[in-house]
Amino acid sequence: MSAEVVIETRSLTKVYRDFWGRRKVEALKALDLEVRRGEIFGLLGPNGSGKTTTIKLILGLLFPTNGEALVFGRPAGDVEKNARIGYLPEESYLYRFLNAEETLDFYARLFRLPRAVRRQRVFDLIEQVGLQRAKRRQLREYSKGMTRRIGLAQALINDPELLLLDEPTTGLDPIGIREMKDLILHLREQGKTILMCSHRLDDVQDVCDRIAILHQGELKELGRVDALLKVRDMTEIRATGLSDEAKDEIRQVIAKHGAQLLSCDNPTATLEELFVKIIRESEEHPGRRVRGVT
Amino acid sequence: MVLESYHAVNFAEWIGPAAKVWLIAVVALLIAFCLLRWLLAVLRQGPAAGTLSTMEFLLAAAADLVLLSPRRTLALAGLTIKESIRRRIVIVFAVFLILVAFAGWFLDPGSNQPARLYLSFVLTTTSYLVLLLAVFLSALSLPADIRNHTIHTVVTKPVRPSEIVLGRVFGFTAVGTVLLGLMAAISYVFVLRGLDHQHDFSAAAREQLAVLWREARRGDPTSGIAVSTDRVQNHRHTVYFDPSQETVDEQGVRRGAIRTDMENGHDHEIRYVVPVDGEPEFSCGPPENHLLARVPIYGKLRFKDRAGKDAEKGVNVGDEWTYRSYIQGGSLAAAIWTFENLREEQFPDGLPVEMTLGVFRTHKGDIEKGVPGSLSVRNPATGDEAHVRTFASREFQTDLQVIPLEFQTGDGRTINVFRDLVADGKLEIWLRCVAPHQYFGAGQADLYLRARDASFAVNFVKGFAGIWLQMVLITGFGVLFSTFLSGPIAILATGGALLGGLFSDFLYQLSQHKVYGGGPIEAMIRLVTQQNVVTELPPTAQTTVAKMLDKAAEQWMWLIWHMLPDFRVLSFSDHVAYGFDISWGLLALAICQTLAYVGPAFVLAYVFLKSRELAQ
Repeated sequence: MSAEVVIETRSLTKVYRDFWGRRKVEALKALDLEVRRGEIFGLLGPNGSGKTTTIKLILGLLFPTNGEALVFGRPAGDVEKNARIGYLPEESYLYRFLNAEETLDFYARLFRLPRAVRRQRVFDLIEQVGLQRAKRRQLREYSKGMTRRIGLAQALINDPELLLLDEPTTGLDPIGIREMKDLILHLREQGKTILMCSHRLDDVQDVCDRIAILHQGELKELGRVDALLKVRDMTEIRATGLSDEAKDEIRQVIAKHGAQLLSCDNPTATLEELFVKIIRESEEHPGRRVRGVT
Repeated sequence: MVLESYHAVNFAEWIGPAAKVWLIAVVALLIAFCLLRWLLAVLRQGPAAGTLSTMEFLLAAAADLVLLSPRRTLALAGLTIKESIRRRIVIVFAVFLILVAFAGWFLDPGSNQPARLYLSFVLTTTSYLVLLLAVFLSALSLPADIRNHTIHTVVTKPVRPSEIVLGRVFGFTAVGTVLLGLMAAISYVFVLRGLDHQHDFSAAAREQLAVLWREARRGDPTSGIAVSTDRVQNHRHTVYFDPSQETVDEQGVRRGAIRTDMENGHDHEIRYVVPVDGEPEFSCGPPENHLLARVPIYGKLRFKDRAGKDAEKGVNVGDEWTYRSYIQGGSLAAAIWTFENLREEQFPDGLPVEMTLGVFRTHKGDIEKGVPGSLSVRNPATGDEAHVRTFASREFQTDLQVIPLEFQTGDGRTINVFRDLVADGKLEIWLRCVAPHQYFGAGQADLYLRARDASFAVNFVKGFAGIWLQMVLITGFGVLFSTFLSGPIAILATGGALLGGLFSDFLYQLSQHKVYGGGPIEAMIRLVTQQNVVTELPPTAQTTVAKMLDKAAEQWMWLIWHMLPDFRVLSFSDHVAYGFDISWGLLALAICQTLAYVGPAFVLAYVFLKSRELAQ
C-alpha cells in the first residue's frame, strides 16, 4: 500500500441479511477505492447507493461480507486506527443529557488527552463552531444546526489526520453551510484527509478534489471533479470589454478579428447535470460502468 | 433463622475446591467457545481463512481484555453515572424516602420483636428498590445507545469493547453504591428512632423503689419484689431492685443502676442518683440489647426417638415446612446438638445456650404457661450426663440459659463442664420435652452457644454489603444481556436471572421432579382444569405429551439452576434482622461467588459486543 493512500478498499462487499441469514440486499458490490493523503474525497449517490455503508465499513461499524477496508494500512476493525480518525455521523448521535462542554470533555477523555490539553481544546472547538453561548445547555435543547456543530466539534476533538463526514451540511442554514465548507477547505489546508458523502451536489462540487459516484452499491464513476465536469465536444469563449458593436462583429468574424480573448476552453456542466446523467444511464444499463474517466 | 448449609461453611476449607471447580468450568467453556467460533468461521470462510480469522479474533480479544485503559474506562463510567442521574434515578430514592416516611404508620413498635420487624422492613425495601433499579438501568442503557446510534461516536474512538462493558458495570455500581449508602444511613437512623422509647414510673412505683432502696441500705433483702414501669409501645418492664452497682462519690452522692427484664426483645437500664440526705431519683435509659450481632457456635443436630434409639429425624407433626423436627414429651426422645472445638477461654462466664424452640401441643394444657423442657450436658466420649435445668419454653422466642462452668447436680455431684464433660473440645447438649403428649420442635440453628456479640453497626453495614453484592451481580447480568438483546428482552432476561437466583432452591426441586403438581405444563393443565396437585392426571395422550414436555423442561431447568447464582448466599437480611453476626468468612464466600459470576459475565459481554455489527 502506498504511503500516500490513507483509505483503501479491496473488493469491499456488504450483503445485509435478515434474522434467518437470508440475503436481504447487496448494499455494496466489490468496491475498489483509494483515498489519498491531503485530499477531499466525496462519495456521491442516491439514497441506498451504499455511501453510508461504505463509511461504516471503513469505520468498522459493519463487517464486510467480502473484501476488506484498510485505514492507515490497518484493518477497519482495528481500534488503534481510531486514534487518528474523526467521524461526523449522518445525524449527530450524541448524548442528549450532556451539555456541549461535557460532550467534548467526554470524547476528549476517550483519547486520553491530558487535562490541560483537554480543557484548551474544548474551549477552542466550542469557539470555532460558535457555541459559546450555549455551551452549558443540554444537547436536548439544541436546534439541528447546533447539534451538527457540536457533532463536528467532537469529530475534531483529537485533531485527527482523517475525517469521515457523513452529510456534513445537513440541517445547517446557508451561512452554516458556507462556514462548514470553508472549514472543510481549511482542514485540507492543514493537511488533513477528508472523506465525505453528501446529497448536496453543490457542496461536493465546491469542496471535493475527487469523487466517486455510487448507484445500487456499484461504483459508477471515479475521478477528479474538474476532469469529470469537463465537456469535451464544446468550446467556451469568455471575453470582456467588448462594445455592443464589437460583440456583433465577433459573432460575425470571431475567427478573423478577435477582441481580447480571456479564455478559450471547454465549458463545464454542473455536477448536478453530470450526476443526473450518470444515474439515468445506470438505470438504463445496470451493471455497466458509465464512463471511463479518471 | 433458618440455618442453610452454606452458613456453616468454613471459608478457608471451601475456597480451594470451589476455585478448582470454577476454573474447570471456565476453561471448559472457553474451549467450547473457541471450537464453536472456529467451526463457524471455517463454514463461512473455508479452513485456512477461518482458522486465521479465529486466531486473529482470539489475539484481539486477549489484547482487549488485558490492555484496558483505566482512564477511558473511568470516562465511560462517568458517562454512565451522568446518564443514570439525568434519567431520574433520584425517583427511586424519593420512593424509598416516602416508604420510610410512612412506614411508621404500619410498623408496630409494640409487636413482639420490633427490631426484627423494622430491620426486615428496611433491608427488604432497600433490596427490592436497588435490585429493580439495577435491572432497569443495566439492561436498558446499552440497547438505548445502540438504538439511538450514540454508540457510533464512541466505538469510532480508540475505545475497546471491554472498556465499554467495564465502564458500564463500574458506572452503575458507583451509582448503586452511593444510593445504597444513603439508604443504609437513613435506614439506620430510621430503625434507631423507630425503636427508641423510654419508660417512666408511676408515683407509687417510685415510692416503692425508694422504699426498696432504703431497705437495701439497712441491709434488708430486696430480691423478689417487682416494680413495674409504665406502658409504652404496648409493653411494660419489671424491675427488681439490686443495690450491687451502687457507688459513692467524694461529695457523698450515691449513684447506681439496675436493669429491667427483657420485654419485646429489649431491656433498659434504670439509673438512680441519691443526693446526700435526699431521696433516690430514678430515670430510665434507652432500649438496649435489641440490636444485636450474636456470634453463634452451631452444633450438629441429631435425634433420639421415643424409645431412645438413634433417629435421622424427629416426628413430623404435619407442618409443611420441615425445617424443624419434633421430639415427643415425656419419653426418651431427645434433640442432641454436638459442639466441636470448644475452648475454656471462650466461655469465662459459663456456657450461654440460646435457643428458639417450636412447640406443638396435642392438647391445650395451661396455655398461659410454657411447656416444660430440660437441658442436659453430656460428655460424648464417656457418656457422662449432667442435668442442668428444667425450663418453661417460650414458643418461638429466643431464650438464653447460661450453664455455669461449675454446678451441682441433683445427686450432689459437683460438675466442672470443661473438666468433666468436654472431651477433645466436644460436648453434647441434650434437649428433652418433659410434658407428656406435647412436642418440642428443633432445627439445626435453633440452639447454639452464644460465644460473644459483635458490633451491630458493623453487622448492619455487612447486611447492606450483601445487597450491594446482589446489585453488582445483577448489574453484571444486565450489561451482559444488553450486549446482544434489545432493551425489553434484556430486562426480561435480567429479571429472570434475578428471580431464578432468588428461587434457586425451588428451581432445583422442580428440575428434580420433587414439586407437587408436576412440571410447568402439567401445572398449567391443573390450573386450567382446576385439579389439585396430588391427584394423578387421567392417562390420556394429552397427559403423556405434557409429561414429556415437562421432562424436557426439567432438563433445561437443571441446566439453568447450575448456571444461575444462588442469591440466598448473598442475602444477609435474616442475619441482621434476627440479630446474628455475619461472619467474615460468609462475607468472603459471598464476594467470591459474586466475582465468580461477574468475571465470566464481563468476558462474555465483551465477546458479544465485539462480535456485533453495531451499525446494523
